[in-house]
Amino acid sequence: MTPEEFAERIKAKFEDVDVKITENKLPHPRKRVWIEVDRERFKELVRFLKEVDPAAQFSIIIAEDRGDRLTAKYHWEMFWEQGESLSVIVGTSCPKDDPVLPTITDIFPSSLPYEREVQEFLGIKYEGIPDPRRLFLPDDFPEGVYPLRLDETGIKPEMVKNAGHPYRRESR
Amino acid sequence: MNGKIEYWVKIPIGPIHPALEEPEKFIITLDGERIINVDVKLGYNLRGLEWIAMRRNWIQVLYLAERICGICSFSHNHTYARAVEEMAGIEVPERAEYIRVIIGELERIHSHLLNLGVVAHTIGYDTVLHLSWLARERVMDILEDIGGNRVNYAGNMIGGVRRDIKDRHKKAILDMIQYYRQEVMPKVEEIFLYDPTVEARLRDSGVIPKRIAIEYSAQGPTARGSGIKKDVRYNEKLGVYPDLGVKPVTPKEFTGVIKGDVFDRMVVRVGEIWNSMEIIERALDQMPEGKIKAFPKDNLILVKLKKAEGEGIGRYEAPRGELIHYVRAEKGKDGPAKWKMREPTFPNLFAVARALVGEQLADVPVAIASIDPCLSCTDRVAVIDANTGKRKILTEVDLLKESIKKTKEINPNIKARPERIGIGRCML
Repeated sequence: MTPEEFAERIKAKFEDVDVKITENKLPHPRKRVWIEVDRERFKELVRFLKEVDPAAQFSIIIAEDRGDRLTAKYHWEMFWEQGESLSVIVGTSCPKDDPVLPTITDIFPSSLPYEREVQEFLGIKYEGIPDPRRLFLPDDFPEGVYPLRLDETGIKPEMVKNAGHPYRRESR
Repeated sequence: MNGKIEYWVKIPIGPIHPALEEPEKFIITLDGERIINVDVKLGYNLRGLEWIAMRRNWIQVLYLAERICGICSFSHNHTYARAVEEMAGIEVPERAEYIRVIIGELERIHSHLLNLGVVAHTIGYDTVLHLSWLARERVMDILEDIGGNRVNYAGNMIGGVRRDIKDRHKKAILDMIQYYRQEVMPKVEEIFLYDPTVEARLRDSGVIPKRIAIEYSAQGPTARGSGIKKDVRYNEKLGVYPDLGVKPVTPKEFTGVIKGDVFDRMVVRVGEIWNSMEIIERALDQMPEGKIKAFPKDNLILVKLKKAEGEGIGRYEAPRGELIHYVRAEKGKDGPAKWKMREPTFPNLFAVARALVGEQLADVPVAIASIDPCLSCTDRVAVIDANTGKRKILTEVDLLKESIKKTKEINPNIKARPERIGIGRCML
């Protein structure tokens, strides 16, 4: 399936989502499909991806603090069985005062460690996540501090020791 | 109850354990010798790279990316450079693409030879460890010759590569391939493909069935060992790889069967060393003349990227599997607004943890070694937090002071004045 055909199928099924196709400048140019969807319809779209290609490979969650919203982008590699695969990025977001996204572990079980990671680093709560424990951060890390947030719940300057430039010292 | 009492025993393996090369923790629940459940805890190597990267510019992040991993150091800055090039629409000169292929494949050879040794070590065949690592020295020497370093050879720049491959290197690489073809690979095949003892140990241990590999998104040799024909170089039509005849290697071409066990993963690695050598030969043959950088001076890159806006994704098949980097640029900012990466060990670790359920405890070290885990890659995001509780945290500076003190204790006559080198003035 070409990226254009795939974009058509998505548009036919979900009329209000934003789909765009980008291309890079490699010797063999490569197209990617970027989809932006509301969190209400996000899970439905993920289910649709699984329907279109049951062997789709989930690769990453890119979660970000964008001011008053928290965004999350998910990447899938689809149709890899046919040789040239299709790279699909699905983005969704939630407001900061209600940071909840639906879990997709029931559709793609491999997303569990990524959701646990996003949960501890960005503070997005996943609704229905089967295993909400911390993955990377130590157990005695303070509650309510989300290291990759850019607001006051992020890392405070006094928590940082010997980071940044390895050879610069502020105090003796 | 049938009158039988069952004992479930929980065994923590790690974070520090003789069977593991790097800190990671597996909590294994056992019923007798059979594994019931495997729980993975990560984060013992967290360095807070994403957080640090928020404070660096585009080119500094390139060097930070290289230091994510000590073994696949070329893969990380290669993938990062690709993501940035896609974001800013930079065209890479063709010669640079070929040089990237050559260095990348040399790295794959050294990484796979390393893993062959590690797996042999975990089954107690230490002779193979020493001999395969001895053979690996040859490719390390070539990498040192090209980049100036055994690891972290800093070959990449955004929009090209930093070092050219000269005739001297070309000759050395061809000699190396000759040496591997005639002296090393027949022995490696003898051990990993035809040795009955090795086969008896590795066959049917740590089996990852194809269904689980797809469900848990296994990557690289771990996936291909289970019969998944997936290779980013091939699926993504990456760079000039399609012109060089890259193809996913599965054990079917060597042994005729696919079982998804440790043996099959090793067969894939042996096959990929052969494949890499062919790719290098073709690349050396077809490599055109020309420039190796899109920008003659590095500060031009920063000027261009400061104006750039948008997002890009770079994907590359590292020795362990699919590597993916994402960058987003904001206008007027001289560094990435967001940089995020995912390494193949991360999904592979969970795939192998799932596959270990129902196996014997004795298979754990070899199954874990067979995915070639690279934990410093996986543990990449963190923050150094020194203020919880009343613990005293020794910083790098304290450790350095202590070590100088110790040296002076041992040898009071020492004259040298150790100094810290690096960015900025040091005052110790």
